[in-house]
Amino acid sequence: MTTDTSRTDTERPDDEPPLFGPGSQFHAFFDDPRWALAIIRATVLEAAHPQIGAALADNSTFVAHPWRRLRNTLLSMRRMYSGDPAVREREAARLNRLHARMSGTDSRGRPYDAMDRATRAWVVATLFESAVTMCRLSGQPLEQDTMERMYAEYRAYLAALDGDAGELPRRLQDFWGYFDRVVEDELENTEAARIILYRLFDHLPAPALLDGAPTVWAAGRAVAGPLFGAITVASLPEAYRRRAGLPEMPGAQTVMRGAYLAAGLARFLPEGWLDAENLIELLTRSPAADDPAAGTMTALRGRMKRASALLRLITPPGGTPGPDPEPGSDHEGRRPAREFFRQVLDQTGDGHLDWPDLAAMARELSTRLDLEEPEETRLYDAFAAWWRELQEALDTDGDGRVSADEYAAAVPSLAGPALIRVAEVLFDAADADGNGTIDADEYRALFRTAFHRDLDTGDGTYGRSAFVGDFVSFMSARRTSTPYDPLFTDA
Amino acid sequence: MGEAGWGVNEYGATGRTAPGGVAPDTVDRDGRSDGPAGRGTGAGTRAVPRHVACVMDGNGRWAQRRSLPRTAGHRAAEATVIEIIETARSAGVEWLTLYAFSTENWNRPGAEVDYLMRLVRRVVRKHAPLLLARGIRCRFLGATDPRIPRELARDFDDLTTLTDGNRGMTLTVAFDHGGRRDIVEAARSLIRNGTPAGEVTEHLFAQHLPFPDTPDVDLAIRTSGEQRISNFMLWKVAYAEWTFPEVLWPDFRAPDFLACLRTYRCRDRRFGSLPTRTNGDPR
Repeated sequence: MTTDTSRTDTERPDDEPPLFGPGSQFHAFFDDPRWALAIIRATVLEAAHPQIGAALADNSTFVAHPWRRLRNTLLSMRRMYSGDPAVREREAARLNRLHARMSGTDSRGRPYDAMDRATRAWVVATLFESAVTMCRLSGQPLEQDTMERMYAEYRAYLAALDGDAGELPRRLQDFWGYFDRVVEDELENTEAARIILYRLFDHLPAPALLDGAPTVWAAGRAVAGPLFGAITVASLPEAYRRRAGLPEMPGAQTVMRGAYLAAGLARFLPEGWLDAENLIELLTRSPAADDPAAGTMTALRGRMKRASALLRLITPPGGTPGPDPEPGSDHEGRRPAREFFRQVLDQTGDGHLDWPDLAAMARELSTRLDLEEPEETRLYDAFAAWWRELQEALDTDGDGRVSADEYAAAVPSLAGPALIRVAEVLFDAADADGNGTIDADEYRALFRTAFHRDLDTGDGTYGRSAFVGDFVSFMSARRTSTPYDPLFTDA
Repeated sequence: MGEAGWGVNEYGATGRTAPGGVAPDTVDRDGRSDGPAGRGTGAGTRAVPRHVACVMDGNGRWAQRRSLPRTAGHRAAEATVIEIIETARSAGVEWLTLYAFSTENWNRPGAEVDYLMRLVRRVVRKHAPLLLARGIRCRFLGATDPRIPRELARDFDDLTTLTDGNRGMTLTVAFDHGGRRDIVEAARSLIRNGTPAGEVTEHLFAQHLPFPDTPDVDLAIRTSGEQRISNFMLWKVAYAEWTFPEVLWPDFRAPDFLACLRTYRCRDRRFGSLPTRTNGDPR
């Protein structure tokens, strides 16, 4: 596939500021809190497209791991709008490889392909339209030339991915016709859109920071979840709301406008107060990370944990004893089979273990390690072989996927040769300099935490056999493990 | 959090208590301002013991003498526990260990065990804010048995988390504790780490015991006149001075505790005439 960015919008005169980089409209919005609302809205509009909806329903981890997904998306957009063409090209190539692995058929048997050009144009179109709409809804509509410039940026984004932006109309005035036509003719009330609107907000798992305070999170979510859903529904195009049969809630329009307006007021905050990247890092960073912000993070988490411990201690004790722990658990750091299935294996959160779940693991690993070809393919191949091994061992009813029941019933010994192969390939990929050990930097890239080895090995590196042993025991024996847990279980 | 600087090595290096002599005033490593009064002054008296352990014995007999059910004795013990914690703290004791429940206590009648579990839970919850406010760091030694109710285990964890940052006295509650079991666990941990036999020293062994930062017990108090160790912190009481007041635990009050401290300060600790430091640290 081509990633030739030199062909992007060649008609643009040279004296204008570059479409990418710090001067772009995209950068102006990046730290804008309205952007959070707009991104949710854009995602619903994307998910309402049957092709994208099917791909999301099958492959996406946003239900089970929304914060990780959000972080990866933000990082990717940052890279795509980087001023450095090499960074852009690399990211475009990575996104293309990632999407090339997503194809299949939806629940009605229609094929989908994440590389379909018209579909990808729609993704970019929703982002652009949502950015324009967010400005309109918050009472600060964009000037015509700002809007045109932004449109050019988004077309350039598509061109960076697809080679050219031919699927989007060249001129802005034609864009609105295109957008309305897709909304009218193509969007459906897809499963993925319903999940985002009605399920995601109600079940949004706590980000790593608030993990210690599940009650606080659940209480806040019970109020904020439906509100976010209502705000998003009210901001969708009227034509789509009608077609999808979305409920019109009294007052929702007012609340929605109020939310956008309030978020828009953040522009009066002193510069630097809002930084989307810091915020998302704060929310998703795992506790043991050792970069500069981690000291603050650890303190913050410690205080959160203490506050919730005090809260639990001073609330009257519940009279009914909780259910006994599952018999599958014992006292050597193993977790029950169902818990492991839900937290680690079922990455897409649909209750089944299927290839997309393992592909999501491979995707997360190659994102973290920033892999290029051919290492990335090797990693995917290893996971694919492991999937075949799992399927053979666990899929007792022959429906091609493994349910939580099948997994729990087998109480499986999963340490087959294919899993060991996964560990070996992962070790090679993580060992960037190929010296046969994972040193502190390589360790941090993979686990995002500092390397703390026990007393017994003093040389500060991680050898191949120790790595393979730890990985296999994490995956097969469901052993809880400080570095490996956040690798796959972080929401 | 905050474990740095509390380790065994650091403890061994503080260079306290030359036997028979006057102990150098122990440096308050955490900068606590309310320094203990009258510590280590005057010829013939010693410093306030750094680590005091109490075997809380006699609750059952206390109740029986009053023709009350044994459970009433446990309930009466609560007041003593709180009073002793407060007294120890203001007397300048840095580490206080209370032996609340031994691994052998599981053999008591089921109803009494159940009552004890509920009582402990109530006490923990009731006094959590006070312990936090007093700057007392709490933790639970043992407490691994699956028979401990989950809610109680959760409260133990919460109290530990809550008071983790405190730098006043450290209160260790030995709950479901057995001294031999701790030693076996340390041996297992050494074997798991693949430590060669020749490298195992007393010092290294002590590092594998639970809460390796806890210093040796200086003074052990067992109420009710019983004179047994009963499998309590076997490693750490190696050089402890013992006192055996006749009073039963529910009647044990601040003056009794202070009397025990006085007894300790008048004793001539010789460590078997070998000036060994604590925790098997080689001199």
